[in-house]
Amino acid sequence: MFSKTLIVCDSCEYKTIKSALEAAQDGDTILVKEGIYKEANIKVTKSVSIIGEGMPVIDGNEEGEIITIGADNVTIDGFFIKNVGLSYTTEYAAVRVVNSKGFTIQNLKLEKLFFGIYLQRASHGKVLNNKITGEAVTEFNSGNGVHMWHCDFVEVRGNDVRNVRDGIYLEFSSNNTIEDNFTLNSVRYGLHFMFSHDNKVRNNVFESNGAGIALMFSKDMEVNNNVIKKNWGTASYGILLKEINDAKIINNEFRENTIAITVEGSNRIEYMHNDFISNGYALRMRGASYDCKIMHNNFLYNSFDLSYHGPMNRNVFDGNYWSDYTGYDLDKDGIGDVPYRPIKLFSYIVNRNAQAIILLRSLFIDIIDFSEKVSPIFTPDNLVDENPRMKRIAHDKDS
Amino acid sequence: MKQLLTFSLIFLLFAACEVAPQKIAYGTDACHFCDMTIVDSKFAAQLVTSKGKAYKYDAIECMIHSYQDEFKDTEMAYKLVVDFENPGTFVNAEDAGYLISEKIKSPMGKNLSAYQNQEKAEKAKENFTGNTYSWTAIKEHLH
Repeated sequence: MFSKTLIVCDSCEYKTIKSALEAAQDGDTILVKEGIYKEANIKVTKSVSIIGEGMPVIDGNEEGEIITIGADNVTIDGFFIKNVGLSYTTEYAAVRVVNSKGFTIQNLKLEKLFFGIYLQRASHGKVLNNKITGEAVTEFNSGNGVHMWHCDFVEVRGNDVRNVRDGIYLEFSSNNTIEDNFTLNSVRYGLHFMFSHDNKVRNNVFESNGAGIALMFSKDMEVNNNVIKKNWGTASYGILLKEINDAKIINNEFRENTIAITVEGSNRIEYMHNDFISNGYALRMRGASYDCKIMHNNFLYNSFDLSYHGPMNRNVFDGNYWSDYTGYDLDKDGIGDVPYRPIKLFSYIVNRNAQAIILLRSLFIDIIDFSEKVSPIFTPDNLVDENPRMKRIAHDKDS
Repeated sequence: MKQLLTFSLIFLLFAACEVAPQKIAYGTDACHFCDMTIVDSKFAAQLVTSKGKAYKYDAIECMIHSYQDEFKDTEMAYKLVVDFENPGTFVNAEDAGYLISEKIKSPMGKNLSAYQNQEKAEKAKENFTGNTYSWTAIKEHLH
């Protein structure tokens, strides 16, 4: 049996994608020429490749879902898909994959959407180089850009997601790779994990979201080489960690976030070789976290480097560079001879009474911070970095 | 410092005056239990203590966990859940009917939605399938 190519255009035998799908068999290619196709509820139940030539437009006319894939090895490539229907009770998507393997969804442009790409019980597939632009500025009933529910071994790479609820959302999904994506202006989070394990997050940029990455109720995660910036607002964070076990957060850059990392109930987390630059707080640890390592990071010009609740719980701060460090290095080994205490008394006051922030950078605060440094009373006296670096650490990003 | 203290005292006095539910700022307020930003007006919930302190939640399951755990000894003036059929509108949690259905995905993965009363929940069940619960039963179920 040979596979054939079915061509769809205005003057072709097949004038709609649906009619070509009806005629197609497993293994066929459907080539869609430039044009506007007003079609919704396109059901793909055969293993076919649907390829757009010159970015043809599929206009769903707000009638509901646009493309639903229910077969293995389906490819959708090169379309501009718009006008997904909006509903309170049904989560309509531009493209949905249900119970399928081996899919590739790439080079799509999605606009006027509710949910963008919705994967449910789908695995071993790829979501590559799509541009998803929502309109969720004040509209909070918007959906997620890429939504994954019970999905494993999916590669999400090179996507650009803007103005949606969560840029990329994973629930009960494991062993996925999220790489080289960019999310901007998500109403909630740039990337959001719920009950999802063994996922890798690399080389992404998260900018101006409610939070860059929310890691919640998950374990064994790797977050490295990401840039997380300008997540600014009352409930805004670079990374939000809630009940996470065994995660590695390495080689990331946190720039200009209200709080770069906020952590609660998370154990055995390694924070290493990160740059925290000009954040309100670099790290806020809210307690119930054990055996974490905060090592070899650069803390540069943050209003506060650290806010810390509760006892030490075997958490280790060691070998970091703190731009506020004023110690000396007489033996010239690059490590300060005086331990550094990253918690300022003022941060303790601000935690108890947020309005006190108005006193930041006043002489009075400098004096109480200094007196606390000389004889710590309020801040945990064993919270010290014994080996503060004298110079900013040049991270080896390839390691 | 003293001025600040006076100021915050006055502020607290005013804030504590009224015992009433607060408006949820969707997209800005964070859930008291799980810290997630509250965005979906179909699933939000709220507890207001008899002293007037309001706690907001992104999902009913978060409110119930919080109520049974952190606030088990706290007297509540209001226990509120959003009516799934009227997004953004609160109903009394004790009178509400609850539905757990695979077809309704709530923010915290419990597939739990609330309705004005038990009959409305039963009606929703015809549409969405699943199991219905009363306030007592859902508390038991999530315990």
